[in-house]
Formats: sequence, structure tokens, C-alpha cells
Amino acid sequence: MHALKTFNILIGGEAGQGLVSVGNILLRAITKEGWYLFAHQDYESRIRGGHNFFKFRLANQPVYAGENRIDLLVALDKTSINRHQEDLGEAGIVFYDPKVVGKEIDQPNFLPISFVDIAVEQGQLIVMANAVAAGAIWALLSDNLTNLVAVLTEMFKEKGSAIVEGNVKVAEAGFNFVRQSFAEIQRPEKPADQSKRIVLQGNQALPSGALAAGVKFMSAYPMTPATGVTEFIAAYGEKCSVIMEQAEDEIAAINMAIGAAYAGVRAMTATSGGGFALMTEALGYAGAAEIPVVVINAQRPGPSTGLPTRTEQGDLLFAVTTSFSDFPKAVLAPGDVEEAFYLMSTAFNLAERYQMPVIVLSDQHLADSYQTVAPFDLSKIAIDRGAVVNGAATSDKYLRYRDTDSGISPRLYPGFGEGLVVSAGDEHDEAGHLVEDIESRVKMMDKRMRKMIGVYNEALDPVTYGSDQPEYVLIGFGSTKGAIREAVDLLETYGYPGLAVHLPQVYPLPASLAKILKGPGKKFIVESNFTGQLYRLLSMEFAWKADGRVRRYDGRPINAEYIIDWLIGGES
Amino acid sequence: MTTDKRFLVTKETAWCPGCGNFGIINAMSEALDGLGLKPHEVLYVSGIGQAGKTPHYIKGNVLNTLHGRTLPTATGAKLANSELTVIAIGGDGDGYAEGGNHFLHALRKNVNITYLVHDNQVFGLTKGQASPRTDQGMVTGTTPSGSTYEAFNPLAVAISLKGSFVARSYAGDREHLVKTLQAAIQHEGFAFIDILQPCVTFNKVNTYQWYRERVYDLNADPDYDPSNQIMAWERSWEWGDKIPIGIFYQKARPTLDQSKSVIQKQPLVKQELVSEHVQEIINQFQA
Repeated sequence: MHALKTFNILIGGEAGQGLVSVGNILLRAITKEGWYLFAHQDYESRIRGGHNFFKFRLANQPVYAGENRIDLLVALDKTSINRHQEDLGEAGIVFYDPKVVGKEIDQPNFLPISFVDIAVEQGQLIVMANAVAAGAIWALLSDNLTNLVAVLTEMFKEKGSAIVEGNVKVAEAGFNFVRQSFAEIQRPEKPADQSKRIVLQGNQALPSGALAAGVKFMSAYPMTPATGVTEFIAAYGEKCSVIMEQAEDEIAAINMAIGAAYAGVRAMTATSGGGFALMTEALGYAGAAEIPVVVINAQRPGPSTGLPTRTEQGDLLFAVTTSFSDFPKAVLAPGDVEEAFYLMSTAFNLAERYQMPVIVLSDQHLADSYQTVAPFDLSKIAIDRGAVVNGAATSDKYLRYRDTDSGISPRLYPGFGEGLVVSAGDEHDEAGHLVEDIESRVKMMDKRMRKMIGVYNEALDPVTYGSDQPEYVLIGFGSTKGAIREAVDLLETYGYPGLAVHLPQVYPLPASLAKILKGPGKKFIVESNFTGQLYRLLSMEFAWKADGRVRRYDGRPINAEYIIDWLIGGES
Repeated sequence: MTTDKRFLVTKETAWCPGCGNFGIINAMSEALDGLGLKPHEVLYVSGIGQAGKTPHYIKGNVLNTLHGRTLPTATGAKLANSELTVIAIGGDGDGYAEGGNHFLHALRKNVNITYLVHDNQVFGLTKGQASPRTDQGMVTGTTPSGSTYEAFNPLAVAISLKGSFVARSYAGDREHLVKTLQAAIQHEGFAFIDILQPCVTFNKVNTYQWYRERVYDLNADPDYDPSNQIMAWERSWEWGDKIPIGIFYQKARPTLDQSKSVIQKQPLVKQELVSEHVQEIINQFQA
């Protein structure tokens, strides 16, 4: 294998300057040109102004997280230079518009490019300044415009040929300007393998996975950073014969999904911490009434409104212990876009097999970050709707909560037969009617909780990477997966064998984790929250203590360098 | 019309003798039998409170949900299986206090369900506290000096939001209630009935006798026009010596399920789970 070679581009500007559109153009063009890519976004909770950026990491082999160093800084505002120039690498260069920055910067690696003037000189609209920037960047990446032009054409075709031609023309002008300004261009190394790849973010992978898993109904109330999931289902649902209903609040959203699930369809909702908090009473209801429902919680830093557009993994214990009293549930935590896609069918299968709520923990970093991965394979997705009776064969003797060895009572979809489906959140008898006697209470509580044996037995194993004789074992869940893996690679280069342990399921935890916790190496828990919630969960479940913790709670994503800095700096 | 009794009512209930709920449940049974429906074709979605227990005492499918959440839950069930006859049931505390927001939006969206509010103007299950419907001055466990608030007027709200079917009936008038229930169930769209219901234990003001002296059938007046929103709204404020019951306002408009193109041929629950179009959708991520 070749040594990892990366090239990092940061484009910064104000909200409203079209960073997202130039970002989307570059994502696709870079992928088309053949690089592996990881890209993340950093934006503020505002529609205009402030400072936002899009950071691309191009590589000659798969990459799983961001990196601090910047090789090309494209400044669409003054703040981009002030805030990011300290991260410029040794050969790092800066493209900036002197009019925007307010002066010419007399340094050899600062190249003034009048993005706006170039667009206007070409007889085009000011908004096309972004395409000038895209063309300028492209000059460092390719000796021809083929792939960039193809993406521009695809992206703007709905706006008509004049817009397509205008964008292509200004991109070409930006491209030529840079080629004339740099005598020699060092291009980042491309991967040796040119396998077929797709590029997408978590907020596209999760809803795509839900559609592939047969979701038929979604209800939701908009909340950053989960809204992308909701809008995706709204946009593509109709084509797939799926209903997306915008609810009046999160309480309505979860209860609508529960109503639809009771009626017999796969149903879900998506929200973030604040909305999830509002949904918790209903999650307990789904537990008591044994109704399968899937909830995506895209975490952001709290408490309360917190940092709406940033990332955190601070809802872990809240999700694991969600709602009052005891009821069966599972909590999954996909770590990258690929896992996000495939775990949605696991979530629905678990929910329906055990007739319980399943929570999928995402976060802003997973939601908004893009990654190149192998194309998804629908044939890998198996659908298991759990035990369902043939409605036509039912009579009024049907018992919705029939006591069974597994605790699973075969479902009947209401209206599919003479049998009546009676469900309640009050304690109930096997028929679903309300009871208060001691015997029934104990019997039904035992029946419901017995399902957890099955859930526990099929809990997803940890995903590991690295040495089987590690000196350092780094354990995490959710979106830190890639950073932890890369930290293990970095440790290896320093001569320390490491093991990355990612938990795609955080509740119930798999028995196989105990072996890792007792195995060789110093154990560090890596997570984005203040109190070390995964550490506390593992301590509670396994009566175990780690050797140290790596935490981050400033709302920014953890990467490999951050982990290594903490390991060197140390915190017990 | 079939004469056999299918929507049987249980004898054993948790209600007080003389409770207004008995009048309502017996009228429901008669109305549903009269419409020729079968129990498995009907879904009752109920909340928490004495009214919320109703579906457990009459044949049919039951989704006894959380306090205040009958309407969103019923909305989800109806969208998933639009062939079910969905009847949401709750009390005035459930629907106008805890679930008030949902009431507004179910009216707006014109969800194609029937919504029955057992309105006894008091919290029964928690033993007699003031509800949004408690009249000013009434002494309750939480208003020892008498309620000082304006009572909530659900009819005025429903009419203002162009609820497509807005009615009031009375638990003590079986014939009127059966007739109104049947009209509501047959109505295409959100059919809302506020049902006046004496609470024999905790409401010593709004008793059977009190209602008997006051209620009159609004629709008996040939000049009353239930398609006239302004007239309906004005009439909804009549409360005191005379209390109108009947269909205040009815005007058809597109329902929520009619607005969903994907369920015009078949209900969602009878469709293929995974669409053949999923591959096309994921293909868009190819660069």
C-alpha cells in the first residue's frame, strides 16, 4: 500500500454566499476525478453573515475524518484568512479576493483572485463568483476541466442552458487565471485504484437506508441537524410511495409515527435533543404498548438550545435510559455514512421483531459530513417484519399481548381480520384491556422484559480495527469511528500498536465487548461530551474502569490529531 | 339496515353509576350498528381520563394512547390505513388542555376521522379539578375560591378554523346523540362533536337536570344554516339559560388523506414495503 497522501482545501465565507452550492459542486467533481474524500461543514445558526466553511480532505486512499492542516485556503471573506491561516501547511497557499479582504497581501503564497470581477468581466452574474472559485481550485486538481464542467452542467441543467454556459465560462476563466499565475503546479496524488464510488453525507445515508428498509411513514418537526433527513423523505417519499407528514410539534410527530406503526407500516421520526426530550413519554408508550417505531436523534450540543449547528454526543445516557420505568428498547450508533445506510434496516428489523422503539443516534458531524464510499448494495438488505398473524384466520379470540416464551406476541394489523387489536399504555391483560391486579402486572412486565433476552443476544458486535496485541485501545461510538481509526494509524507510525473499537450498538451492549475490555492494552474512551457518558455507561454495565478518557465538548468534531494530543497531554 | 347487535357494550366498567359516559357508549353502539359497520373495521383511539377508557368497553380495535395525544396518534393510523373508520375519544382535559395544540392542527388539516370529546367540564379521573371547560366561579380542588378563567369555547375555535364538521350533542339525549354520531362518522373530513356530559360525582353544577332545562336542538330551526360560518360562530357563544346542540357548521373541503397522492389507490399498509425506485434514488450519489 502507498503511504497516505492528503490534500486539504478549506473554503470559507459568510452565510448566504453560496458555500453549500460550491461545496456540492466540488464534492462531486473531486469524486469524479478519482480521489477519496472526507468533507465536513462548519456553519452558524444564521441565514446571512457570520463565518461558515466547507473543508475537503482529498486522499490517495480511503479517509474517515478531517485533518487540521490546510493546503489550500479559499477565502471568500476576511475572517477566513484571520481564522484559518495558522493552520496552513508548509506549502499551503491562499486564494483571496483583495476587494473582499480590503487589501493586497504581499506574501508569495497568497494569490489574489478577483472572483466577483472575473464573473462580471465574463458578462455573467455576480452570484457566479463561486463558479470562478471552483474553477480556480480546479486548476490545482486537474489539467483539464472535463469533470468540473460535467458536474456544473448536471447541477444547473434545471435552470436552463444560459445558466449552465455562464457557470462553465466563469469556471474556465478562474481555472485559466490560476494556471497562468502558477508556473508549476504540484497536484495531489490520486488513488491507484479507481473503483466506483459514491459521495454522500449522513443526512442522505440515513433516509436512503430507511427507504431501502421499507419505511412507509415519517412524521417530523424541523430541527437542526435532523432536518436533512426529513426533507430527504419529503423529496423522495412520493416516488417511493412513502408519506412524510410535518407535525405541529415533536410530541405529535412521534405519536403520529406510533399510530401509523400500530396500523401496520414501518414508521419513523427524526429530531435532535430538544425534540427528542419531548418525545420520551411516547417512547415509553411504544414500549408499554409494544409498538415498533424508529427515532433518529441527530445530536447537537446542549443543554437546552445549546449550539444548534454544532456536534456533540451528549444524549447517549439520555437515549439509553430514555423515558421513565423499564421497557425494551435498543439504541444504535452508526459511525459513518455506510453504516448509517445499512443500520437503518437493522433498526426497523429490531423494532418490528421485538415490537419496541429503536433509537438511532446520529449527530451533526455524521449528519453533515460527506464521505466517498463503495456504492450501496441493496441485495445486502434483509427485511424481517417479525411475528405477524394471518389476519383472515383470526377471530375475536385474538390476544394482542399473548404471553409467550420469547415474550413476543404475534401482531395483527387492525382491520386485516375479525381479530381485534387492543393496545394500551395502562397495564393491560393479554387481550389489551386495563387491569391492576398483582398477577397480571407481574406477568406482563415479565413478558415485555423477556424480549430483552433476544435483543441482547443479537446485539451488534463492536467493529474493531488494528492490532490484536495493542498497547492502546481506543473505544468510541457513533461519529468518532473514523477519527479513532485514523488515531490508531497515527499511533502505529509512532511505534505503538493500537486497536480501534467502535460500538454501532450502545444499548444493549454486546457480551463480546467484555472480552475487549478485559483484553490487552490501555483503554481510552473517546467521546464528544463533558462527563464521559460512554465511560459511565461501560462502568455501569461491566463494573469496569478505563485507563483514561478523551473528551471534546466545544461543539467541533474529534479527529485523529485531537485524540493523539489528548493521549500525549493525558487525562485520567 | 342490519338489526343484529355487533358493537356490544361490556357491563363491567370503572365508571360511577349514573356517569354520562354510559349514555355516550350506548349511543356509539347503536350508531355503529346502525351504520352497518363491523367491529374490526373500526379503530377507537383514546386518551387518558374516564373518557379514554370508553373503547375498552365496546367492541372494536383500540389504541388507548397517552393523555392528550389522541389526535396525532389517530392521524398516523388513518394515514397508514385509510380504510379504517377512525374515532378519536377523549375528555375535555385530554383534548382542550393537554392536547390543545393537536386540536388546532387536526382541524386545519381536516384529518378524516371522528373526534368525540366527553365534555363534563371537570377532571374526573383525578377527582374533580378545574378543566379548560369549567365555568367561571365554579369551586374545584384546584380553584378553591372559584375558577376565575374564561371557559374554553371549543366550538368557536373549531368554527373559526373552518372545521369541516362541528357539532355539539348531549349524553342525556340518546336520539340526538345517535343521529349526530352517524352524521359525523359519515362525514368526509374532521368531524368534531363536543358531547355535554354530566359528572355525577365531581360536577354538582352542570347536572342532568341543569342540562335538561337548557339544551335545545339548533337544527330544528329551519332558518339556521349550518354552512354559514359567521352564523355558526355567533351561535357557538350561546351558553346560559339556553344551550344549543346540533350540527353548528358543516362544509366539505379536501381531507388530509385525499391530499396524499400515494394512498389514492391503496392504503399504505397494503402496499409493497420497498419501492422499486430506491435504486434510482441511491444512484444519484454517484459522482
